Amino acid sequence: METPASARLREPSQRVSPRARLMWTITAVVQAAVLLAGLMVATLLWGWFDLRWWMPVLLGAVLATYVVVMPAWRYAVHRWEVTGTAVYTQTGWWSIERRIAPMSRIQTVDYVEGVVARFFGLASVTVTTASAAGALEIAGLDRDRARALVDELTVQADSVVGDAT
Amino acid sequence: MSDATTSELVHDEQWQRLDPRMLLVHPIRELLRFLPVLLGLFVAGTATGGNEPWQYLGVAIPVGLGLLRYLTTSFRIHAGRIELRRGLLNKHVLSTPLDRVRTIDLTASLIHRVLGLTTVRIGTGTASRSDDDQLDLDGLPLVRARELRRELLQRAQPDLVHAADGEGEAGLPATPPERVVVRLQPGWLVYAPFTTSGLVIAAGILGAGSQLLNLLDLWTKVGTATPDVGASPTWWLLGPVLVVLVVAAVSALAVVGYLATNWDFTLSHTRGDGSWHLRRGLLTTRETSIDDGRVRGVSMGSPLGLRLAGGRQLSAIVTGLDRSQQGSSVLVPPAPAAVVRRVADDVLGTRAPLTVPLVPHGPRARARRFSRALLPAAALSALLVVAVAAFDAPGWFVVAAVAAPLVALCLAQDRWRALGHALVDGWFVVRSGSLSQRHAVLATDGIIGWNFRDTWFQRRVGLTTLVATTAGGRQAYTALDVPEDVAVGLAGAAVPGLVEQFLA
Repeated sequence: METPASARLREPSQRVSPRARLMWTITAVVQAAVLLAGLMVATLLWGWFDLRWWMPVLLGAVLATYVVVMPAWRYAVHRWEVTGTAVYTQTGWWSIERRIAPMSRIQTVDYVEGVVARFFGLASVTVTTASAAGALEIAGLDRDRARALVDELTVQADSVVGDAT
Repeated sequence: MSDATTSELVHDEQWQRLDPRMLLVHPIRELLRFLPVLLGLFVAGTATGGNEPWQYLGVAIPVGLGLLRYLTTSFRIHAGRIELRRGLLNKHVLSTPLDRVRTIDLTASLIHRVLGLTTVRIGTGTASRSDDDQLDLDGLPLVRARELRRELLQRAQPDLVHAADGEGEAGLPATPPERVVVRLQPGWLVYAPFTTSGLVIAAGILGAGSQLLNLLDLWTKVGTATPDVGASPTWWLLGPVLVVLVVAAVSALAVVGYLATNWDFTLSHTRGDGSWHLRRGLLTTRETSIDDGRVRGVSMGSPLGLRLAGGRQLSAIVTGLDRSQQGSSVLVPPAPAAVVRRVADDVLGTRAPLTVPLVPHGPRARARRFSRALLPAAALSALLVVAVAAFDAPGWFVVAAVAAPLVALCLAQDRWRALGHALVDGWFVVRSGSLSQRHAVLATDGIIGWNFRDTWFQRRVGLTTLVATTAGGRQAYTALDVPEDVAVGLAGAAVPGLVEQFLA
């Protein structure tokens, strides 16, 4: 099939679970709080630098923007798609990475429920190939959807012969 | 002891230990590993007025560990599989089908060579990085190890072997002829100081030197002497002489390092079982055998210094060797460019990939090369100027502030010239970089998948970075800053049927 000169990759068709947005927001809030607390300790308790009034305000504004913008952006970007011959994922927010791997080269399918993800009923599925740089991860999937995806991928990958290197 | 007529691969089910001479090697190695702890123990012992037994217990533990390691490691070749069992507390059984063996590496350190032993490392193409998953037979006699290697490689390509020898004698085919492709030449030593390892040695020396100066409190003397730099004639004499001495010392060390690693470097090819053999090393000798079918391409590296001296280095992209074994995939150490190209053509079997003109990536990619080099340089210059103006830094900072953008300009131009890609005859070719330039040729059937990576800045100008993932070498080969439609077209042409279904 000839690819036309103005060929572009479309986005993958499936989105991750909307609860992932909540998980990312809460993780970002915790990270921001830890960072602010660390800076407060550094200046108030240990006196590493003099605290001006605008420092926490500025930092707070930056972190607040991050907490509000990043989860929504990431939810818009994180997508995935599985066809009969390939797996296609898109991840990131500022720097976006799209990965395509053929079904015939899949070596393992991993299902991971992280500590935080478990609270929200989410899980991630990682598809590895023979290349260390070619692993595809779909994070923030609903747990049941993730399990179904793992089964689907295992069946499809098994049906292709070869040692996948 | 096996005699020459018994095949290594025909053994009964008994687990066999490694060579008994390893009883000498393991304790010594453990002692060396525990040396810092032991020294500490002895120092502490003499300081507190000596509890004699505790110190000797300290020596006995590593020796005991070494003995245990020998006693608890055993292997067997049985039912078409090779199995290795080791561990005292955590028992590890590693098992591999003989047909899955891709590469075989024979490494012999100084102790091993003195005793006539070698370590056999078997690579199966696994992406596992853990040391525990390496199938290492640490301590086989050299003759046995070579025989094992020959037979394992024969299994990988049985049809070719039967066609090559007309003997028909079961179990004992004639040794196929080995064709030497390249051998170390004395003239290559010239290239030793120009590689990045030379720079690492220089950095090490600088670090050690400054430590020494620190120790002898010479920094303060240097500091007080600096204001007189313009005035004092001795500095004008001493300075260049010192620089020349340092450069000479670094070069000598680099040459010694090059010799130690590449002594008797020989690359040869056997047509019979279709494999490449690499042999090199002075103190630690290394013999690697790579099955033909696992060589998926080559990567020609030309760091800036080496390139200016007219040299290149070549390594193979091999599945079955992970990054920690990169040293086993070197095809040619730093050597004249003509030699490297000849060997590359030999390995690839065709001249096309390295001679085809590379497609440039367009004006927007060029603009990005320049902006990415000039912006940090401009920032650095601004900082230096501010330092001189506001904080009374030495005057030569201004010189550096002027020089930085010029250097950046040259760097950007070199990077732009090097950037390009091509797709020819089933080979995917990419080149990029200036300080560490790499020209990679990858077989398209070795490409597993594609990654398209772009930052917000790249998306704004319609560029993307295309990465071809593969099971060998550096695992991923990158075409930087390619226009997106070109990237998609390239991916579709190189691996048909994968990317087309996701087009807009």
